[in-house]
Amino acid sequence: MAYVATRGGERAIEQSQRLFKAEMGAITPERVAETRRAMPYLVDRVMGEASLYDEDLAALALAQTGGELYETILLLRSWRTTQPRLAVADPVTQEGLFTHRRISAAFKDIPGGQLLGPTLDYAHRILATEVLTGTPHVPTLVTPAPHPAPAQQPSVAAWQAENDLLNLPNPDTTAGNDIPDVTREPLLFPAKRAHTLQSLARAETGGVLALGYAAQRGYGQAHPTVNELRLAEAEINVTHPRGTKFSAGRVKISQAEVVSKKGSQLELGFAATMGWNEVKVIAAATLDLNSAGAPKGSATEEEFYLYHTEGVESSGFCIHFKLPHYVTFQSSLDAMRDAKAKQAEPAE
Amino acid sequence: MSLKSLTKAWEPMSYGFLDASAKREIRRKMLKAIAVPGCQIPYASREVPMARGWGTGGLQISCTLLNPKTTIKVIDQGADDSVNAASIRRFLAGVSGAPTTTDTLKADLIQSRHRIPEEILREDQVLVLQVPNPEPLRPVQPNMSIARQMHADADYGRMWLQLYEQIVRSGRVMQGASYPSLVNGRFVMTPSPIPRWDVPKMHMAKHLTILSAGREKRLHAVPPFTKVEPLVFDDVPYKVEDHGAHVCTRSGAKGYFMNEIPQDDGPSTFEVSDSELGVKSIHRADGEAVQIGETWYKNGEMTE
Repeated sequence: MAYVATRGGERAIEQSQRLFKAEMGAITPERVAETRRAMPYLVDRVMGEASLYDEDLAALALAQTGGELYETILLLRSWRTTQPRLAVADPVTQEGLFTHRRISAAFKDIPGGQLLGPTLDYAHRILATEVLTGTPHVPTLVTPAPHPAPAQQPSVAAWQAENDLLNLPNPDTTAGNDIPDVTREPLLFPAKRAHTLQSLARAETGGVLALGYAAQRGYGQAHPTVNELRLAEAEINVTHPRGTKFSAGRVKISQAEVVSKKGSQLELGFAATMGWNEVKVIAAATLDLNSAGAPKGSATEEEFYLYHTEGVESSGFCIHFKLPHYVTFQSSLDAMRDAKAKQAEPAE
Repeated sequence: MSLKSLTKAWEPMSYGFLDASAKREIRRKMLKAIAVPGCQIPYASREVPMARGWGTGGLQISCTLLNPKTTIKVIDQGADDSVNAASIRRFLAGVSGAPTTTDTLKADLIQSRHRIPEEILREDQVLVLQVPNPEPLRPVQPNMSIARQMHADADYGRMWLQLYEQIVRSGRVMQGASYPSLVNGRFVMTPSPIPRWDVPKMHMAKHLTILSAGREKRLHAVPPFTKVEPLVFDDVPYKVEDHGAHVCTRSGAKGYFMNEIPQDDGPSTFEVSDSELGVKSIHRADGEAVQIGETWYKNGEMTE
């Protein structure tokens, strides 16, 4: 029976997955551990976009997908969404962060001091080809500073507000389960502030960069000055059902404040994400800075950039065009042929 | 009574994949959608273990509706054996233990992409359509928040203008699939990218249709016995695809929506798009006793 013979869908997809996985070989705990150890910045990026802070799960997802990043994020997001929300941590404040790196482009020196921290910014990007010929690249030990910088620092924006350069937004006092959660409710526009910041935090790095860069290059009105870029660790303080407060651990976070002159005041753009990912937070803060009053349909309009930087949605839709579309195509062909036939008819 | 006796043992995955709170939200939003036919209802739309754009909206509805006794049918482009339909069917069966079928008549729940089966659906059946873009106004207004306001105002002037311009330019409405349709005389909806052939099947249908867009986080519904009217001008009638006279080269079925198969030596042959109807027709031609349900179209014409 010819019709039945073509029913190979199930077998075909099974074999196609085997082909994909065959290239990667066995996924072992050792491989996951090595991925986590060797690729901290990739793990950070993945944790940020997945909005799931777990280095082991992120490394596992990377190993399981062979580094196909969109697949990695989807894997983690669909795992994350099935997990219960057990508790809501206390708000993380800027002053309370354990700061590793903090730089400002706005002032030569800032209250609390510039803190260079770990960066490749001033490295010469020369490929260490000697590694391939047998000379391992062993990092030189760090010489500790004679006077360690204080771990906790105020924000530059706070100083600007004190000196009447900037109006800080009123602190949002929404607490606990009342905080809007974009993973548990739809994103609608105009977006809640929490939804905007959450969406940027989990946005796809490349997408945020593309639109943020467009804004920086001139498709946005405001030119960003990096007020403060910070890489830090945040203490996650949670209240136990018995009432005692405890730390559930520390998470790495990045945050950026960018400012722009608007009349006699500075305007502030902000973004933060889990993991250390500087490009993402600077680009995201630029979008936030340009967002107010942006024309509908422009790259800096909130609806435009939040929809189009959502990596799971954008990548999924892009690859869905591989699916068969022969019904819709046939429907279009029918309309085209009919229109053509009508045009060929002699006019009455 | 101990606390333990009231709780279930821990399992790595919830029944039907989605957790209870996600299902509860979807049930509420479905009820809302049924109460306001054709109105797009936003929902959280959780990530599921499939890529967005691959039926994640339909999947969340199916995961919420099914129970171990629900018989599931999944089709893509009308075919049960299309790779993505096979993948979704395997997932739904795997997370629920529900039986699956390819027979439209035996299904309780049909999840479909781009087609409505040719056999008439009953009151006890639910059709779940996967929707890539839930917004019929997108071609005239890509901004979702403005489009939402336009729906609230029943401001469909630009929609009509677009159809009118197509008639002026091309002599006919050029919309292929996803033909915009007025539901219950109030909301213009997209029927999802089903061919024009399938839209009349929704009008005053006995079954419930839920249309769900996972990526865009919107769902809408056509409840049973609800008016679904394609947007047409009085003097330019609605026209379905000209497939009424085509005959399926494999099954001999005639008068249904067809797949066009280009041939090396010139024109095309046709195969019936509803693959199970094709299979049944082959069995019947072989003299086997098969039950083919009443179809919406008879001899290529829509029955009333």
